[in-house]
Amino acid sequence: MKLSTPIYFEDLDKFATFRSDEITITAEEIRKYATQFDPQPYHTDRSAAEGSIFGGLCASGWHVCAIMMKLLSNVMAKENIMLIGSDNVPSLKWRKPAFEGNKLHAELEFKGAGINNTEPDFGVINCDVKVLNENHQLVMEVKTTLMVENKGSNSE
Amino acid sequence: MSKASFLRSRWFEDIPVGEFHVFGSYTLSEQEMVDFGTAYAPQIYHTDPDAAMNTRYKGLIASNWHLCSIWMRLMVDYMEGYALGVEDGRRNGAGLGFQDLKVLKPVRPGHTLTFSHEIIEKSEKIVKNKWGIIKSRNEAFNHKGELAMSFIVDILAERNPNNLKN
Repeated sequence: MKLSTPIYFEDLDKFATFRSDEITITAEEIRKYATQFDPQPYHTDRSAAEGSIFGGLCASGWHVCAIMMKLLSNVMAKENIMLIGSDNVPSLKWRKPAFEGNKLHAELEFKGAGINNTEPDFGVINCDVKVLNENHQLVMEVKTTLMVENKGSNSE
Repeated sequence: MSKASFLRSRWFEDIPVGEFHVFGSYTLSEQEMVDFGTAYAPQIYHTDPDAAMNTRYKGLIASNWHLCSIWMRLMVDYMEGYALGVEDGRRNGAGLGFQDLKVLKPVRPGHTLTFSHEIIEKSEKIVKNKWGIIKSRNEAFNHKGELAMSFIVDILAERNPNNLKN
């Protein structure tokens, strides 16, 4: 049961900003993801990572994407925004590696309603996302779209 | 030199625009979709096969980031096949970012995706006096031959040191 009122697209502040909680990225988690999805030495082996282009054990860029999704999902759930996904990510840049022990958070900035959406059951929000570490360094920068359910749609 | 080690040992300068590879196929199970969703994308259409039936997706679908993760794994496996005898460097360029990630068809348990990769552009920009930037178009087709996902990615490839000024 949701305690607060669900926020549908019509009622959404299309220029709202949010800050996620922080999440500390561990060596164990970096290796676990990398073993399954990105088994390159700089994501699985600390000593190999130290001699690599990155200079230390760091998360796969796609792992950082997954962590961003987790942070963003938590924000949407906490705000009770009826997120139903994203089918279009116009741009993503990996700016700095996410090393073991880094504490990451995401900053979200809604940039208004997207155009050219012909689906009746949801609206599209343009959203800038920044993933930052504990030293306020930019780790990842994303321009994405978010689909948010319309009121009275039949998707529930 | 075998064809395999030749492909993997090429410098940036030796990789031609237009090169095209179909580099892997993968069938997604319900369990791994739920595991990924639970860890990273906890919407019910990624985590709960029953509850997902009552959403607009009418069943479980894979997270976009799960599809990208599978792309990465298949790419690493494919390139490792070309890596024999090659030192770290040319064969391990980092990714800079991507453009236009689109998920065009929902991917459901039991679907098989086939991934392709085409080199579309080589930038003249030199990064840290060592790397060039290779742009590729990546596509995943489902078992019906429909384009399910696509994106363009920028990846570093080491330039031939003989062509660089110190």
